[in-house]
Amino acid sequence: MAYYPEPVARLIDALQRLPGIGPKTAQRLTFFLLKRPFDEVRELSEALVAVKERIVQCRTCFNVTDEDPCRICADPVRDTGLLCIVEEPNDMLAMERTGEFRGRYHVLGGALSPLDGIGPDDLKVRELLARLDAGRTREVILATNPNVEGEATALYLAKLLRPLGVRITRIARGLPVGGDLEYADQVTLSKALEGRREIG
Amino acid sequence: MAVERTAAVVIGGFPLGESDRVVTFFTRRFGKVRGVAKAARRMRSKFSGALELFTLGELVFFDGGRSELVQVDHFDIERPFGGIRADLGRLGHAAWMAESVARLTAERDPHPAMFALLSLALAAVDGGASPSRVAVVFGARFVDALGHRLRTDACVLCGRGGVIAGGRAAVDVDAGGTVCPSCAGAVGGTLSVAAATIDALRRVRTARWGDVMALPLGTAERELRAILEAHVTRLAGQGSRAARFLREVSRSLPVSEAP
Repeated sequence: MAYYPEPVARLIDALQRLPGIGPKTAQRLTFFLLKRPFDEVRELSEALVAVKERIVQCRTCFNVTDEDPCRICADPVRDTGLLCIVEEPNDMLAMERTGEFRGRYHVLGGALSPLDGIGPDDLKVRELLARLDAGRTREVILATNPNVEGEATALYLAKLLRPLGVRITRIARGLPVGGDLEYADQVTLSKALEGRREIG
Repeated sequence: MAVERTAAVVIGGFPLGESDRVVTFFTRRFGKVRGVAKAARRMRSKFSGALELFTLGELVFFDGGRSELVQVDHFDIERPFGGIRADLGRLGHAAWMAESVARLTAERDPHPAMFALLSLALAAVDGGASPSRVAVVFGARFVDALGHRLRTDACVLCGRGGVIAGGRAAVDVDAGGTVCPSCAGAVGGTLSVAAATIDALRRVRTARWGDVMALPLGTAERELRAILEAHVTRLAGQGSRAARFLREVSRSLPVSEAP
């Protein structure tokens, strides 16, 4: 990148370290930023720094937060007997958007993955056991992704938590709302059949 | 742009960009192929659950010839092998097999016999056969198919026979097979196994699949597993992630629940 001025080359180099961004996209973003008003670019740079300076992990649930404990863990109205296990903070936000769940969360920080060598020691499993040891939890909801890694994590946690005597449930799997049965694959359809419920 | 169609097993993958996925297939006609499945991570993707690990299906892809990555058009499930995902032991052992194939085969190097071996092994694990036994049989035949068969009839270092002493044998995976007691003493770092394990290795290579699943191997199975894991690790140049996963999961679960 010797033909770029040094600050431009630095920004391209920094941007292409982001996931899903290759050299071409990094170059396009850099030249887009060069054309934007100074204030807008300053706002972006300040937002980036603020995220690193002010955001921490909640020491209870491992969600990302600007106050520790996070708002959900500190909320006295939340049901402390319900604990929903998710892989990442984004999954927690997706659950919150439903407005249906009034319990608390535990963010594992990933999922078990034999091909990536991610085992229980790489997740917040010990911390989960310590939370459950306090004895207030009635039900643990395993809300990991419905893929191989998420299923393996749910299976592992179910085995690990069974001796603790809490109720362990798994979120339902099956057809997406608005989907066509005709286009569903056999795995999804069989999961939907397995999880059928009485109606009326 | 050529459109190709072949039977394939999903042996790996990773997310790409916003919603795409790079998937590694082991195919009957082309060997290992990596392809981009557009929008595969969207909830209403046309691929749905088809691109999950271990799924056997019919792959249709476009090959522009300008990139190592092909474009996945569709993948119709033939056998999802869902039973593998329902048990951590089955998952770990099947992952070891998929990882071995992904690491030790070259792209676009067709090997129909190896494809048949992988499909057969996954079907066996899915069908409830002992995953550890399947992994051992698969491992022994897989390294043979790669052309890295361990020699067991003589010392690979000095060429002399008589590798069994006191009912035990030494295996040097770096050297490529059994070594006699004097060479084992000189090189060090060999795996010491029972003579019965060497005999078991010869049998799992050649016996019919059904027969080898029923063979009473006893402790030889564990020793065979150690030999094959060391051999695959040496060939790949790094330790197996799936084997590490299995160890970690087994260690952390109550004994009654461990895979």
